[in-house]
Amino acid sequence: MSEPLAEREQSTEPGMTLASTEFGDIYQEHSRAIYYLALRFLGDPDKAEDATHDVFLKAFRKRDQFRGDSSWRTWLYRIAINHCRNLQQTWHERHMLSNADDAVWENTAARGDSPLRVLETKELGQRIQKSLDGLPAEYRLLLLLVADEHLSYEQVATLTDQTADAVRGKLHRARKAFAALFEKTSGDVPAHTRSGSVS
Amino acid sequence: MSRLIPGLEASPNTIMKSQHKLNSQESEQESAVLREISKETPMEFATPEELLRHDALHTPVPPAIAHRLGESVGPIAAPRRPWWRRWLGH
Repeated sequence: MSEPLAEREQSTEPGMTLASTEFGDIYQEHSRAIYYLALRFLGDPDKAEDATHDVFLKAFRKRDQFRGDSSWRTWLYRIAINHCRNLQQTWHERHMLSNADDAVWENTAARGDSPLRVLETKELGQRIQKSLDGLPAEYRLLLLLVADEHLSYEQVATLTDQTADAVRGKLHRARKAFAALFEKTSGDVPAHTRSGSVS
Repeated sequence: MSRLIPGLEASPNTIMKSQHKLNSQESEQESAVLREISKETPMEFATPEELLRHDALHTPVPPAIAHRLGESVGPIAAPRRPWWRRWLGH
């Protein structure tokens, strides 16, 4: 689906629903990925809903600028990342380096290669969000993008303005940091639902 | 010989009701056991990405987004009226 949308879709007629348009097909195919990124990056379902709407609206308005040299998914992700970053931008994030956070994880027990064990799925979303919230934004974004099987490391690298090797290196630290935080969240779950120890 | 318990006549209906109650109790116990087993059986994910993928699959997109988007997109791309409609004054 690399052909520019504007050349295929002349217009949407008044009263035509999104589902009956070609842009609707694009929404159908990519909305889950974009919504999930917004949800877990921003940590707020209402903000994620607004952000997803705004991202697709922006994409629709700029659809004639899509030249097909990337996939729709990566183009939408680019818009979503910029949008979410703008929403989250604070003076702190603009001026403080993320590298300072690396030291926190260096002293953590090496659990980056251990499987993550989950007993109860009921509060899984909360645990995941809490773990992601504890990460530097850079690591959070990296994990969310790499989790999308449609994206290669090279595409993730392009989206995050770094090399694929840099992605791999940071990914290792991000996994380790996430695992440490995730294990801590198991302490927040009531005893009768607590999972076994992380191996 | 049909009287199993002294003082209690075992009619076919009574037997059927008892059997049904027993079956219900058994299936209830079975369900409870299965629930406990599923609670105790942990899911394992090799990497955080796998965990996130599982989470993403179980995170539905709010349908309100599509509705809002449809309303937002509609007015932007309204088509021009064809010349014959303009000529006929429609």
